[in-house]
Amino acid sequence: MSTSACLNDSESALCYHCQAQLPRGLESRHAAELLGRRRLFCCRGCRCVAENIAQAGLARFYQHREGPFAQPVASHASEGDDAGMLDAEGALTGFVSEADGAACITLAIEGMHCAACGWLIEQHLRRLHGVTAADVNLGTRRLRLVWECQKVPLSRLIDEMRRIGYRATPWRADAAAVASAGEARSALKRLGIAGILWFQVMMATMATWPEFSLDLSPQLHLILSWAGFFLATPIVFYSCAPFFQGASRALRAGQLSMDFSVALAIGGAYVAGIYTAASGHGDLYFDAVGMFAFFLLTGRYLESRTRARAARASARWEQQLPASCLRLSREGASERILTSAIRVDDEILVPPGAAVAADGVIVSGYSRLDEALLTGEFKPRQRGPGDRVSAGTLNLDQRLQVRVTALGEHSRLAAIGRLLERAQAQKPALARLADRAARWFLLGSLIAALLFGALWWWLDPAQAPWVVLAMLVATCPCALSLATPTALTAALGTLQQQGVLITRGHVLETLNHVDTLLLDKTGTLTEGQPQLVSILPLGRGAERECLALASALQQDSGHVLAHAFAPAAVLADAVQALPGLGLEGEVGGERLRLGAAAWASALAGDLAPPLPDSERQWLLLASIEGPLAWFGLDDQVREDAASLLNFARRQGWKVVLASGDSSGAVNTLARALGIEAHGSLSPAQKLQLLAALQSQGHTVLAIGDGSNDAPLLAQADVGIAMGKGTDLARTRADAVLLSDRLASVMHTLRMAQRCRRVILQNLAWAALYNGLVLPFAAMALVTPAWAALGMSFSSLLVTLNALRLSRPERE
Amino acid sequence: MSALYYLIPAALVIVSAIVWLFAWAVNSGQYDDLDSPARRLLMDEDLPCSGKGEAADD
Repeated sequence: MSTSACLNDSESALCYHCQAQLPRGLESRHAAELLGRRRLFCCRGCRCVAENIAQAGLARFYQHREGPFAQPVASHASEGDDAGMLDAEGALTGFVSEADGAACITLAIEGMHCAACGWLIEQHLRRLHGVTAADVNLGTRRLRLVWECQKVPLSRLIDEMRRIGYRATPWRADAAAVASAGEARSALKRLGIAGILWFQVMMATMATWPEFSLDLSPQLHLILSWAGFFLATPIVFYSCAPFFQGASRALRAGQLSMDFSVALAIGGAYVAGIYTAASGHGDLYFDAVGMFAFFLLTGRYLESRTRARAARASARWEQQLPASCLRLSREGASERILTSAIRVDDEILVPPGAAVAADGVIVSGYSRLDEALLTGEFKPRQRGPGDRVSAGTLNLDQRLQVRVTALGEHSRLAAIGRLLERAQAQKPALARLADRAARWFLLGSLIAALLFGALWWWLDPAQAPWVVLAMLVATCPCALSLATPTALTAALGTLQQQGVLITRGHVLETLNHVDTLLLDKTGTLTEGQPQLVSILPLGRGAERECLALASALQQDSGHVLAHAFAPAAVLADAVQALPGLGLEGEVGGERLRLGAAAWASALAGDLAPPLPDSERQWLLLASIEGPLAWFGLDDQVREDAASLLNFARRQGWKVVLASGDSSGAVNTLARALGIEAHGSLSPAQKLQLLAALQSQGHTVLAIGDGSNDAPLLAQADVGIAMGKGTDLARTRADAVLLSDRLASVMHTLRMAQRCRRVILQNLAWAALYNGLVLPFAAMALVTPAWAALGMSFSSLLVTLNALRLSRPERE
Repeated sequence: MSALYYLIPAALVIVSAIVWLFAWAVNSGQYDDLDSPARRLLMDEDLPCSGKGEAADD
């Protein structure tokens, strides 16, 4: 552990492009003259990208961009082939719409992190010959591109984007995305129209108030009343339609919902307004209709917008598959075809470094496969002829010949997707808990209004309708219904600024009841990336010398494990990366190999020395004279994991580790941290474990990152996904840690406690106010107009109290 | 006060026009992306190239 730390000094120079720290003493390794000054770079990739940007005259990107920065997207070996495939006839059917020689496509962009990136992409593309329009949407990270397909092939434009450091893939909205975009638009229309009309209604009705003593003629009074009616009607029948629909849906299911009380208040005020307009005496309620509608719709709109943000990372499982693959024809020749064109029983070739395109059985070849997508386990599995492989897994070593057995809907990846949908359907609707309390309150006040209405009918029939209405308005659980959503909205906004995206409203409420913490191992409790943890020198040379040699080889190799090594102090020449084997190159004139044991020791003509143990992944460094050292790679526990576990212990929670990892590492880690652990769990077994915990009455908070955790996150009482987790996990979770730090879980929990306090205060106030005003309304001491005013004041107070949550907590 | 006889219908017509305009704006997608246009405003698009230094290549 000390080995990687000792070379990682802080306070050194930064790379001009990606702002990564440069190793001390080696700042000028990749320096170049750029924009009239000498600039420092961390690697060749960053330098190339910066030069391309400068040559295109877009260097202002560097003044406008904002952190956090990322290195340019690394390119895969097969990427060039995939881009070429896009130009083939029919390759983009369904993605591209064409008209008059101009084609339009939407591309999903990787590597974009701020407005300046969007500007850079737009400017760079618009200057290219044949590009008509390029518009980047920063929120969704998508690019709408219109170009003349006869003049420029799409592959060239995608290649141009790669030159400035971004990766683009064709994107198509699925049915769910189209539907949710439509819903967002109609929600905004309902809200906007309610707002516009409310102001007009208010002016029309207020003119008729005696307080303003406008001295209107009876005729004008009548006209204004009906103008108010005319303006209020679209609010009720268009803007408030969802409330009426929700209420009737609940009624048909034999339930009273909050929608019912809202619908009753709005409908009642509207009908009373019509009665006043027709009879000519009493108060006009049209302005109250507009106010209810506008406030309630605003709350709902803000809530649904927050939810939509999370769903943006569209998680279709097809997108985790490669765009094209190599099919083997009967004659034994291979041809590149689109993944969608594969059929069952086809034989496909999977070159090292490529993802498997379909489920199948290995016909020939031995290799190690990275199955992290399915199992969450980063350590590769050895596979040979007769073994099954799954779509989406990554081939690491040797070329494999695979006979396809299942496609699309029938593949394992799709099965996980289905598991997840089922889990979501079973999720208890905790959001309805608050409604249940309001329902009893509502039922009580309705019965009271009816009773007192009947009483007044007997005492003084002329007063009766106004008493009933005053009681309905006074007891309208408006403050009660605002109490929870306003507090939640304020809390969600604050958390989002702190890097926690909450995607479902019930999370903050449920977090207060959590008593069990279920953790995934790889990528959640640990970094999810192998780090160098031990060095065992075999021959001459101490640890440090061997490390320096290995680091030199790893520099700029783009190898999967390169980031495990600290930046090198020496440079290697003629470095060659051999897929699945390792790296070969010269350091100080000495020929070296780093990688698989047998291959590395073959340089000296020796046999490989025995592996030190089987728990870690070992790389061998060897020279012509023989093996030099073993490098052990392992996954490191996150820095803030301990503080989260301490926090959980202080809260008295039960902590359980559930991992798909089969190695002994799970138990070793669990012993080190002192928690209960279960290893080698399939996604279904993880769900069983969760169900067992829940049936014992535990409220479970699950934290995970892989696609295999997605069903777990959906089924748990609260599921939190790591920000670097897969799309599938992120969209199914109740919350996403955008900051990718476990410490944010504690922020969220503390915010949940504060939020709960505010909600309780709000509910107490709303109940107190409604309870106090009810007797006065029942005794006809409060007119409906005063009741409406009091209710608005009460709502305002509740909202202001909720806004206290938008300040970050004092520490 | 008699002006109100004209002003009230006129107000109703103007409100209808505003509602129609708003619905049109939403339907044509102008409110779909509320983040990008606000930030794009801060960057000038058509200034001459500021990057004049040719990159050194080794």
